[in-house]
Amino acid sequence: MKKLIRVTVNDMEYEVAVKPNQTLVDMLRYDLGLTGTKNGCGEGDCGACTVILDGTPVSSCLVLAVQADGRAITTIEGVEGKDGLHPLQKAFIEKGAVQCGFCTPGMVLSAKSLLDENPGPSEEEIREGISGNLCRCTGYLQIIDAVKSVSK
Amino acid sequence: MSLPEFDFHAPGTVEEACRMVAGFGAKAKIFAGGTDLMLDMRRNRISPEHVISIPGIEELKTLEIASGMLTIGACVTVARVVKSKEIAAKWGALCAGAKALGSCLVRNLATIGGNVVSARPAADIPPSLMAYGASLVLKKTSGERVVSINDFFTGTGSTAMGPDEILTRILVPEPPPHSGAGYVNLGIRNACDINILNVSSYIALDGPGGAIKDARIVMGCVAPTHVRVNSAEKLLIGEKPTDALFQRAGEAALNAATPRGSAYSRASAEYKKDMVKELTVRTLAMAYREAMGR
Ligand code: FES
Ligand code: FES
Repeated sequence: MKKLIRVTVNDMEYEVAVKPNQTLVDMLRYDLGLTGTKNGCGEGDCGACTVILDGTPVSSCLVLAVQADGRAITTIEGVEGKDGLHPLQKAFIEKGAVQCGFCTPGMVLSAKSLLDENPGPSEEEIREGISGNLCRCTGYLQIIDAVKSVSK
Repeated sequence: MSLPEFDFHAPGTVEEACRMVAGFGAKAKIFAGGTDLMLDMRRNRISPEHVISIPGIEELKTLEIASGMLTIGACVTVARVVKSKEIAAKWGALCAGAKALGSCLVRNLATIGGNVVSARPAADIPPSLMAYGASLVLKKTSGERVVSINDFFTGTGSTAMGPDEILTRILVPEPPPHSGAGYVNLGIRNACDINILNVSSYIALDGPGGAIKDARIVMGCVAPTHVRVNSAEKLLIGEKPTDALFQRAGEAALNAATPRGSAYSRASAEYKKDMVKELTVRTLAMAYREAMGR
């Protein structure tokens, strides 16, 4: 039986009827049409499905949609501000940190969470902060450069 | 692959959760952090009829240090333990285990209780808890009991916890003066990895520069559960700590290890045995260094 949940996604309130065995990533993609969040491994290994849940970055393939009831989520679609792309997103473009782009939403969200908590991370802390996000294209160096370029 | 169909329950209190597990018994699975459970369900290893979600229960999220005891609520996330300076100061080996678990995205969900109850021989949290002599508080509708973590694991994925019980708290005594512990895990990469092997060692000295009066050595991935190495512990107790003694303890651990060398475990039995010795020596040296400074 479906359950009605209330969830805030990118500052918008939604009411969604979800099946108990539906994952949060599937709800975001199929029910809300927010396809920026990717479903890669589905097992918590790749970070393509990263969202920020009540301020904490998590793999949304490991969370049930029903568990998001009453909570606040930021997806990649919510990172852009009124004045356009977030400085991190601009930095990703400038530094060539995007190739196929599949890992990018997750990378940006992990990097954003890191910088929100620690605006001046060391390279080690940046590596650690994105260690849950796999990239099969860039070799990571450009991504680290991009994050560094917007650190304080 | 998609998840099996189940009914979802989110009890608001521990009492309510206990009534649910009592009612559903083996048909229910508890969802703490979900990082192991979701995988097991997706891979069709289990298909519970009921999923009881407990990370919303406040009481299970307490983390406190009082009168010589660290109390970790079952649903405290691994990330919280990594961040705690108080835990790092006194229970460093536990922090090391927490840091080694999964990636930061997984640690933000995974719980200390879940990592214990899943009873995986490669898990990062149990070895140090065993080395520090932790106990577990198991609760059911009719009351609660405290069991030593040493008696908890009965096989891969199975524990002494009844189907009508839930783990509520983990009690970790504060290590006495002149004691120390170390944890080392061996994998292929630093993040997102399953251990090939892990070892945690604890020793307590009889005063500064004194003989070893207490020792606990725990190894993982060399048997169906995490195991204590009694032979190595016996050989250490009553002796003055030296490199040669630690080498002999390592040798004892090597002889006590019974790893299976399958494709799944990603390392041959010989390699694991050799490395068990190495990691035992290394963690004992870490424990000794800490003991000398405290
Ligand atoms: S899809 Fe969630 S971690 Fe890979
Ligand atoms: S850009 Fe292709 S996976 Fe990262």
